[in-house]
Amino acid sequence: MDLALKIALGAMRSVKNLAVVVIPLMILMQLARDYRLMERLLGAFSPVSRALGMSKRASLPLLVGLAFGLAYGAGVIIQASEEEGLSLRDRFLVILFLVGCHAVVEDTLVFVAVGANGWLLITARILAASAITVLCARFLPRSAFRVKVDPHGDRCGG
Amino acid sequence: MSGSGGLEFLLESIQRGVRLGLRTTWTLVKISVPVYVVVSLLGATPALGWVARLFGPLMGIFGLPGEAAMVLVVGNAINLYAAIGAMKALDLTGYQVTTLALMLSFSHNLFVEGALCRKMGVSFWLMAAIRLGMASAAGLLMGTLGGA
Repeated sequence: MDLALKIALGAMRSVKNLAVVVIPLMILMQLARDYRLMERLLGAFSPVSRALGMSKRASLPLLVGLAFGLAYGAGVIIQASEEEGLSLRDRFLVILFLVGCHAVVEDTLVFVAVGANGWLLITARILAASAITVLCARFLPRSAFRVKVDPHGDRCGG
Repeated sequence: MSGSGGLEFLLESIQRGVRLGLRTTWTLVKISVPVYVVVSLLGATPALGWVARLFGPLMGIFGLPGEAAMVLVVGNAINLYAAIGAMKALDLTGYQVTTLALMLSFSHNLFVEGALCRKMGVSFWLMAAIRLGMASAAGLLMGTLGGA
């Protein structure tokens, strides 16, 4: 009985903790989307994509991934990559950076809510993802970015 | 659609955000809470001890108890919210929570997020390996520093 009570209380606390992080975050994200914040930040962000070794056309997918994450941002990331006509090299570098570092606000806050050190998390992610991306951009040979042909032909399909 | 000025536009946007937030919270609760309950119940059986003993040596590298392996597995196979559910059910120090959070920050939700790699024409397995590598390196560093 003690255990059941403890679990029920813990579950309720989880719901509260999630709601407190997720609802304000989703409001901010919706505002960012409706006011096209990412598109407005694009100009200021293009030096960052250049510094990471990508062309500045990679800025929008990069920003969207950083802010919204890979699952929620996937549609926009793919669409932006199509519209910008990103090279396979740019695609590789964008994804390489983003797998290590994305949804920086959400992922950090959910861990802060369970007691982790948020500054450590965000700093480590940005540094590690930047380092690996810059290294690959600099040292991977061009031939590493040959276009692979997908047998189903839907490589970039939404 | 009115233009992107005006109070009405702002309020509509906030309203959509609140709805999205409630829906998302519910989606995440449906993942996090069941994992929390299952791991808590496992804690009342010998099964958690078996997991702890089996993974103790491996997790020891990261300065974590053996049962923390469950957190890493559900985090990578499902998502961060499942991992958080499992973390809450375990007895962990603040340092261990940060170690797990750092490892999971690099590597989580591999299958869902990996689908994007494929659609972008980038190898799923290569990216999964890179993520797990970054997570292991981070865990190793935290484990080493924590043990010093």
